[in-house]
Amino acid sequence: MNVSCAPGGIVGWNRPGQGISDLCRGGFSRMALDLGELCGPEELENLGKPLRDGDRPLRRPAAQEPALLGQYARELAEACQGKLEWSVARAPYLRRDTKRTDLNGLLEELAAEGIRACGELGCPFLLVRPLFAGVERGAAWAVNRDFYLRLGAQASRAGVTILLENQCRDHNGHLLRGLCSDPAEAARWVDRLNGELGEERFGFCLNTGVCRICGQDMGSFALQLGDRLKAVILREWAGQRESSVLPCTTPARDQSQSAWISLIRGLREAGFDGELVLELTDTAAAFSPLLRPAVLTLAHQVGEYFKWQIQLEETLKNCPSIVLFGAGNMCRNYMRCYGERYRPLFACSNSPASWGSRFCGLEVRPPEALRDLPPDCVILLCNIYYREVEDQLREMGLPNRIACFNDEYMPSFQSGGPGGG
Amino acid sequence: MLEIGVQSKNVVSDGDPAAGFRLLRELGFSCVDFSLNGYLTNTDLYQNKRGRFFDRSQRELEEFFAPHRTGAEAAGVRIHQMHMPYPIYLPRGSEELNGYLWNVVAPKSMEICGFLGCRYIVVHGFKLAFELGSEEAEWRRTEEFLHAIAPLARELGCVICVENLYGSAGGRLTEGPCCDARKAAQRIDRFNDQCSAEVLGFCFDTGHANLVGLDFEEFLTTLGSRLKVLHIHDNDGLADLHQIPFVFTRTRENKSSTDWEGFVRGLRAIGFDGVLNFETAPVLTAFPEELREDALRLIARIGRYLGGQISSGDR
Repeated sequence: MNVSCAPGGIVGWNRPGQGISDLCRGGFSRMALDLGELCGPEELENLGKPLRDGDRPLRRPAAQEPALLGQYARELAEACQGKLEWSVARAPYLRRDTKRTDLNGLLEELAAEGIRACGELGCPFLLVRPLFAGVERGAAWAVNRDFYLRLGAQASRAGVTILLENQCRDHNGHLLRGLCSDPAEAARWVDRLNGELGEERFGFCLNTGVCRICGQDMGSFALQLGDRLKAVILREWAGQRESSVLPCTTPARDQSQSAWISLIRGLREAGFDGELVLELTDTAAAFSPLLRPAVLTLAHQVGEYFKWQIQLEETLKNCPSIVLFGAGNMCRNYMRCYGERYRPLFACSNSPASWGSRFCGLEVRPPEALRDLPPDCVILLCNIYYREVEDQLREMGLPNRIACFNDEYMPSFQSGGPGGG
Repeated sequence: MLEIGVQSKNVVSDGDPAAGFRLLRELGFSCVDFSLNGYLTNTDLYQNKRGRFFDRSQRELEEFFAPHRTGAEAAGVRIHQMHMPYPIYLPRGSEELNGYLWNVVAPKSMEICGFLGCRYIVVHGFKLAFELGSEEAEWRRTEEFLHAIAPLARELGCVICVENLYGSAGGRLTEGPCCDARKAAQRIDRFNDQCSAEVLGFCFDTGHANLVGLDFEEFLTTLGSRLKVLHIHDNDGLADLHQIPFVFTRTRENKSSTDWEGFVRGLRAIGFDGVLNFETAPVLTAFPEELREDALRLIARIGRYLGGQISSGDR
């Protein structure tokens, strides 16, 4: 699984050097390529309309010359100087409340240009939103089938996979579930496109922001998509207007407003191993450029944390043997969900009163017992005081690997939620 | 023309139920959604309180509701649907309370439904996806409960209706049980096959659907004839307000932000011939006392408008 970052709010197209450098300093080695930033929804909406006084474009608009899209993308690639690899590119798209029903042909040209650019730059995926403007409800599949198959043939030659994405639609300012937001329908579209093209050239990208605004169960979505799911855009919304905010930074009532537990459970169960793309345009733009490197460091850690959570069971699988440090609620949750498959040798506790007792079928021993562990046994911190306990174990000079366990996103809970200490 | 119904809550009182039914009839309603859930409220249940109303024997309950039955009959109002108290299972509730809900409240609600000559009773599915880890596991528990009351439904000639619900995460509403129309349709069919009778149907709640951005038209057409009853009400897309349709807007054009056109198209497409029932009791506390009848009259008028729209045009 790869973690990458979308460039919005970070990499300025006219002078991308600093943003690229910030991403690298933050720990990212991969970046998404948003061609929608080179030919934006507003630019498309106003295409052909006279410019207002003082409105001078900073560059020749790609909406008028689609070939420029590739040129701009190449310029950006040059600015990266090989420091960042491409993860997923996104073709230009319309505003959700667009009034333009005349641009579907142009969108196809721009997507085709995007495919060429991805092929040249070595970007494996191009996200192309389905056509919706001016498309009658009953004709959505027929119109998009033809659209995607034409692009699919080109993508095949370029070695690029086209990703469909779940959409919301604007109903008088209220965003409702749109095309491909029904996971069963989305899976059917992907399968039919691949079937008709005769090769696996289409996949799916789950946009968590869209799921969030429509209150959708992201885990169920991921599971229904299964291995069609090639990428996940991690973003949260602030308020009701579409925005891209770093996950976990818009909490309410001590919780994130997105049900990340559902997403993580679903991706885990689906065995997701694709691209995790952090999109934090609004968060990045809201911080001073002086603070942006720190924001990106946090963003990278958030991405890596999601990856770690999704792969939690893989981590357990790779431990030759395990001892749990902690004999409380987190230990109970571990035993309930993983105790049979990855049975620990024993549990360890700092509480003398518990030594010699049994907890969830495990003998509870003092920390000194860790000195007798086989060298490849992993000490799993099963206690929210991770750093404090780790310091304690380091001071003991134990040779064993120390790893963390976390029960925030367990496959199920007895009651209530994650435990803690 | 489709019939129009509304909740009995805030209109029909236990002191003089006949007067409430008469008023509803005068204002344009021929049906009522009997608010049985008012006798054991969710507020109490969430506080682990069970009240004493359902401690009454079946005979006592029938005596209690006899004036409601005769009052409705006298006014020419049909008790078309009712709402079982909810939640019917509390994940953090005591075993005693959950047992009481399952073994006492649910069957007695069914009996009351039969006594009042009410055809449909709406129940809430269990909200357990968080604890059990999946919506499928959650449904299995709900199904277990439904199987427990299905024989009674069959005996009484009632249809149990599950309703699309919402949950919450960080103050933001998320989809809850029965928000996937395709799954709901399959489950209803399977359940009825197992029972060899049509004992399970669906209640589409427009307000709940609006909160989680469901596509009304798609949802309704997928449900088809499994749709038995409606909870029509409106909100701002953020909170479950149970207000009058068409009042919420979000843009300068000031057009309704709820997809009522999709609602009409969906019902028209499936040839819905049930009751346009409004779950709008909170409207009656929002308006001043002097305007309540006008509010109800407007609701009935909206019902007739929607009915006209649904009945007109080609399928």
